[in-house]
Amino acid sequence: MTLLQVEGLSKIYPDGTKALDNLNLEIRPGEFVVVIGPSGAGKSTLLRSLNRMIEPTNGKIRFKGEETMGIKGKKLREMRRHMGMIFQGYNLVTRVTVIKNVLHGRLGYMSPFKGALGLYSKSDTEAAKSMLQRVGLYEQMYKRADELSGGQQQRVGIARALSQKPDLILADEPIASLDPASSETIMHYLYTICKEEGIACLCNLHQVEIAKKYATRIIGIHKGSKVFDGSPEELTDDMIQLIYNQSHARVKETA
Amino acid sequence: MNAAQMQSARKMKRTQTILFLIVLLALVIWSSIGAEFSLPALFAGVGESFRFIFLDFLPPDFSSLPKLLEPAMQTIYMSVVAMVIGSIVAGLLSFLAAATTSPHPYLQVFVRAATSLFRNIPVVIWTILLVAAFGLGTIVGTMSLILISIGMLTRSFAEVLEEIDMGQVEAVRAAGGSYFQVLSQAVIPQFMPGFIGWSLYNFEINVRASTIVGMVGGGGLGFILQSNLKLFQYQKASMAVLLVLVIVLVVETITNRVRERII
Repeated sequence: MTLLQVEGLSKIYPDGTKALDNLNLEIRPGEFVVVIGPSGAGKSTLLRSLNRMIEPTNGKIRFKGEETMGIKGKKLREMRRHMGMIFQGYNLVTRVTVIKNVLHGRLGYMSPFKGALGLYSKSDTEAAKSMLQRVGLYEQMYKRADELSGGQQQRVGIARALSQKPDLILADEPIASLDPASSETIMHYLYTICKEEGIACLCNLHQVEIAKKYATRIIGIHKGSKVFDGSPEELTDDMIQLIYNQSHARVKETA
Repeated sequence: MNAAQMQSARKMKRTQTILFLIVLLALVIWSSIGAEFSLPALFAGVGESFRFIFLDFLPPDFSSLPKLLEPAMQTIYMSVVAMVIGSIVAGLLSFLAAATTSPHPYLQVFVRAATSLFRNIPVVIWTILLVAAFGLGTIVGTMSLILISIGMLTRSFAEVLEEIDMGQVEAVRAAGGSYFQVLSQAVIPQFMPGFIGWSLYNFEINVRASTIVGMVGGGGLGFILQSNLKLFQYQKASMAVLLVLVIVLVVETITNRVRERII
């Protein structure tokens, strides 16, 4: 059984940039899939196309057995609440408390009215607290989000995604803004929590070594196309060369 | 680039500078003639102004102070009411006027155009128009202050909304938040400091503007000031001016304190 099935996914931006080109992809429940590829290869576009934060130009997406292309409104919100998202810039609402940020993960389950007023149920609040306990931030729960360090903020980001009770977590470069030690902590939390809860994870990463360490499967993307899909052992140095190929192209993109 | 080219580039740059200075000077001379401005006239007037200020206006007539207290309170009431109503209305309109939150681009253009009308017609003109329709009094003064408050605040608020961090908005949307949930949970927390800061600034502006508004029939201290001037009661008028100054300073001090606390 597959959790997510993507067929022929393409995205062409209005300026003509082809970010995704006929991409196929499959994720089974509980997998920890890491997507690697140079900057501008379309990794972010891929993740955002899956929860439709970006509208794909073409293709088919099937999530939990249901077609999700073209769905709108309530159905779209229901689909999104089953996909937690973690961001490179953490994207916490910085001026509110840590626990409120975790509770934002419940909004997709609430009536628009209750959610808009921030009337979270007691059980949601209790669940949010235990989630914070789990990522080691119980004591910080009433602090404003911007009082935390980057690594702590990303742990709140994980707790927020987790409070959605998702089947899939989309992590967009979760450690790109963090120092090596915090990166290690975040990857550890993300990996163990996903494993314990049986949540599948699709994670964009820049660091091949970290990808090899955690991934159950690695997908390599180059210029919007999938060029590798296999186990970490199969990802040879030659393959890495291919994914990040044309050293001049890489230099140009990072310049 | 060889030496000759560099030389010519340098020459070109210098010619440009000289040309710019000549044009600037010509503009100043032309405008001065047009405005009938002349330095000798300015200095001739200085003595007269000083005589007027020191002999006619000073000292302020403190005995008129008790009679000024009620108009002074009116001025403050008008400014507060205009700020509260103005910021509520502008708060709602600004969500339609900001590119980041507007439901539709046409709506955005429409709200922007309408509020720019409120803002760009001077408050004096609004008051004169409203006095013609509703007669003299504080109600008219308040109405014209409300109009310019809406005009100014909608624009300021919309700019605040356009500078918010869209990442936070994205996160709440990705969690399954609806339009209004996203507004209340991700946009409004970021909007609050700007909302309060600009509203307080608007209060200061209202206090200042209410004097002018009063002078053309909008009630409050400005109205008293105008009547005193017309009756040549200059020392009473200077007392009113002094009071305006005190109110403005006090309001500024208080709003600054509040702003520091919040932001």
